[in-house]
Amino acid sequence: MTAADEVKLVVPAQPEFLRLARVTAAGLAGRIGFSFDEVEDLRLAIDELCFGLTGPTGRHGTVELRYVIDGGELVVEGEGRFADDIAIVGLSEMSKVILGALVDEHRLGPGPRGPQFRLVKRRHDDAARRSG
Amino acid sequence: MAEPESLRRTFERYARTGDAALRDQLVAAHMGLAAYLARRFANRGQPLEDLVQVASLGLLKAVDGFDPGLGIEFSTYATTTIVGELKRHLRDRGWAVRAPRRMQELYLHLSSVIDELRQQLGRSPTIAEMAAEVQVSEEEVLEALEAGQAYRFASLDAPKPDSGSGEPLVDHLGSEDAELGRVEVRATLEPLLRQLPGRQREIVQLRFFDGLTQTEIARRLAISQMQVSRLLARSVAQLRALAEEPAEGAGD
Repeated sequence: MTAADEVKLVVPAQPEFLRLARVTAAGLAGRIGFSFDEVEDLRLAIDELCFGLTGPTGRHGTVELRYVIDGGELVVEGEGRFADDIAIVGLSEMSKVILGALVDEHRLGPGPRGPQFRLVKRRHDDAARRSG
Repeated sequence: MAEPESLRRTFERYARTGDAALRDQLVAAHMGLAAYLARRFANRGQPLEDLVQVASLGLLKAVDGFDPGLGIEFSTYATTTIVGELKRHLRDRGWAVRAPRRMQELYLHLSSVIDELRQQLGRSPTIAEMAAEVQVSEEEVLEALEAGQAYRFASLDAPKPDSGSGEPLVDHLGSEDAELGRVEVRATLEPLLRQLPGRQREIVQLRFFDGLTQTEIARRLAISQMQVSRLLARSVAQLRALAEEPAEGAGD
């Protein structure tokens, strides 16, 4: 993996800025040949995990996002750096079901500097054929 | 809408028992009001179909929050709740309404292009293929999708983050989940799913529980893939809001 495969983004932990997280993910997914289906899945998943990280109304602080492209796979990691001390909103049962259907792997939990998530979305067979 | 005595009694019974079947009856009896109010907010850059769904969510909240003992007509109470929901929806999507007209037009064009390409290719097209077909850049395609979809990360109705649900911080959903587990989860979530309008509930079932792709759902329901995408996004936002709501379910 090279530095060129990695994109970093830091945004305020507010809903209106987290849209950028979604746009960036969609842009990178498009670059590596994800289908429209897969891009839409990814956007929903990013929403869901950002929501799990910051809660519905946002937090005081930032979310640092790291996108890594590895072949036909996109990994997105998000980490909250929050100044406030509000209890974290985790994933509801419904969110778990939704994420399980949308992405190949996902995780939300505590990190060394704040709560963090990680998702992995892989390009599937029909897309692999197109680029082959 | 006139409120016959039987409806009033149904409201009283629902307030007492919380019976979901009674709730469904009450919602069905007032769907016309929700649709009427949604139409009042049409022509503001949002599809009427979406507005009707937002209004339906407002109606659900109104049914849950209505106190028949207050002596006011339900339609009066519900109108306030539904209009509030519609206004919040439009306000939250303000950025999308302000999206350049060219992007809105491109979004509409892409909706048909996606379906045409899907038929030609037998699979969901890539962003590059969509861009080549309409002769714009991939960035423009992505921008149009974002502008058109216009769903917001936040829930429709911001709940309190400190609801104290005791949700564990670390959440994993292992791919090893057995079918049985899936059925159990589905049963647990049934009350939540029941609150979605019928078409959305069906799409959520197909995508998240039956594992169909958006393309397959579009084909099965004979609707555009863009519609599937929009309804899924809407459903997820609604489910998120509903999941976070306090158990007493009172409106705002």
